[in-house]
Amino acid sequence: MLSQPDIAALIITLKLAGTTTLILLLLGTPLAWWLATTRSRARSSIEAVIALPLVLPPTVLGFYLLLAFSPDGPIGVTTAALGLPSMAFSFWGLVLGSAIYSLPFVVQPLQNSFAGLGRMPLEVAATLGAGPLDRFISVVLPLSKMGYLTAAVLGFAHTLGEFGVVLMIGGNIPGETQVLSIAIYDHVEALEYSQAHWLAAGLLLCSFLVLLMVYSANRRFHLMKTI
Amino acid sequence: MIEADLQLSKSDFKLDANFSVPGRGVTAVFGPSGCGKTTLLRVIAGLEPEATGSLSVNSEQWLDASARRPVEQRRVGVVFQNSSLFPHLTVQENLLYGRQRLRKVTKPIEINQLIASLEIEKLLLRYPGALSGGEKQRVALGRALLAEPKLLLMDEPLSALDRSSREKLMLLLEKFLQEIDIPVFYVTHSSEEVARLADNLVLLANGAVTDHGFIQDVLGAVDGELSRSDTAFSVIEGKIATKQLPGLISVDCGAGIVLQLPDSTAISGIRYHSGSGVRLRIRARDVSLCLEQPQRSSILNILPAVIAQLSAEPYNGSRVVKLDMAGKQLLSKISEYSVQQLGLQEGQPVFAQIKSAALI
Repeated sequence: MLSQPDIAALIITLKLAGTTTLILLLLGTPLAWWLATTRSRARSSIEAVIALPLVLPPTVLGFYLLLAFSPDGPIGVTTAALGLPSMAFSFWGLVLGSAIYSLPFVVQPLQNSFAGLGRMPLEVAATLGAGPLDRFISVVLPLSKMGYLTAAVLGFAHTLGEFGVVLMIGGNIPGETQVLSIAIYDHVEALEYSQAHWLAAGLLLCSFLVLLMVYSANRRFHLMKTI
Repeated sequence: MIEADLQLSKSDFKLDANFSVPGRGVTAVFGPSGCGKTTLLRVIAGLEPEATGSLSVNSEQWLDASARRPVEQRRVGVVFQNSSLFPHLTVQENLLYGRQRLRKVTKPIEINQLIASLEIEKLLLRYPGALSGGEKQRVALGRALLAEPKLLLMDEPLSALDRSSREKLMLLLEKFLQEIDIPVFYVTHSSEEVARLADNLVLLANGAVTDHGFIQDVLGAVDGELSRSDTAFSVIEGKIATKQLPGLISVDCGAGIVLQLPDSTAISGIRYHSGSGVRLRIRARDVSLCLEQPQRSSILNILPAVIAQLSAEPYNGSRVVKLDMAGKQLLSKISEYSVQQLGLQEGQPVFAQIKSAALI
């Protein structure tokens, strides 16, 4: 069934998707809130930048990240100055790449969910004595449950299926940066179709189940618009 | 006192409201749709951050040139036009949302008593989605009051309700708003609601305050914006008389004035008890004047009065006449032609024919 390197790839993939989703939910919340509430003119540009990974070939993103990670690139220079190892071909390099790559899948559902609340619940909470943070925790978060579920699942699933960016910046180091999609590619290259099937079909089923969960939950909560 | 001098400019609208009203009782903010009533209420609540000017509520400064108190520190209770209940909280959790955020509870309101008088005891464990419009508004009122507000703001709280729940909530409000000892601002475009609830009146037109003060003073301003409009009306207080004529309800307004109204209780279902206080709303256009007492008329109420004031100029061919009926104020709107024809002058005794009056 699954060989030792395949299991390692599975674990790395889950770890990568989990870490990336967690980071994106934390960073995406203030970003999505700002986008949903600001009247700033900068909003459109920021939205366009966030949406770029939706249309850009992943190899383009990976290529520029690789340049940035190089010893002369801005990220490479920074990590060297801080005495940290290079990000290229490392797990944390993959996390950074995945975070940028999956950003729109987390930010957009959150932004739609926040915008859909309208100003009424927040204004009411304010008149009842709730300060800004209190309003966010007691009103916005519980009313945005579906948005968070959608964001988390889409961010996770999208990171699972990542290939191009990983290939460019992660290389293919088994047990370190080799993720499922790359392992499948390797099996196919080596004509090991049965191993490739196990992984590919597993990934397909897993992605389908995850999306099915989101859509049926959405249907239940009548919140299709958050996607 | 509540003293306001507030400005707000939006792309298509300008609010410039300058008024002062007593710091107690119900102040109706009255005007046609789109005149800025809701915006004024939002500015007072602190929900419009761009508003400038000054605002003090019972000697607390909420806004001046140097400082603006944030909404959450103003302690305003707001009842919005549409349901504003938090959908993710039960009725009980909604009711306590503001109260739990009080630094200290200064007035130990009997919560159970309030819940009982709002008739929401049976709803406590439900979610707002399962409530009717009238129930939602009662819960919203309870939630606002439990947070011990220093000012209660109500933005057309009845407008989203159907007729019967509107009447029910109205009866409740009449009782309630007189009992609570905090000032209330009540936004409405209904003259009936003004007549039933208001002690003070702020008139708004095109974002500007055209008149403000005690309700009788504002209603009785014959040259004012309200007198010129079609809705000009008077409010007379009285008591249900002990002696009734068949098919009529008699209202004793004191000083020998007794007004007769057709008994419509069979339809409205409201029972009046003799001696209970009522208010009558009489439209100015339903009052006509005679120099001599008409005989054998179908009009029920023909009362002697003295012309206290005539509007300075005719407006749309009409003039508003303020009558003094043994100390009670009554407005009449008649044509300029009739004023000239009858030679009406201030101080002249006349007979007022009241074609209809609404018991409210």
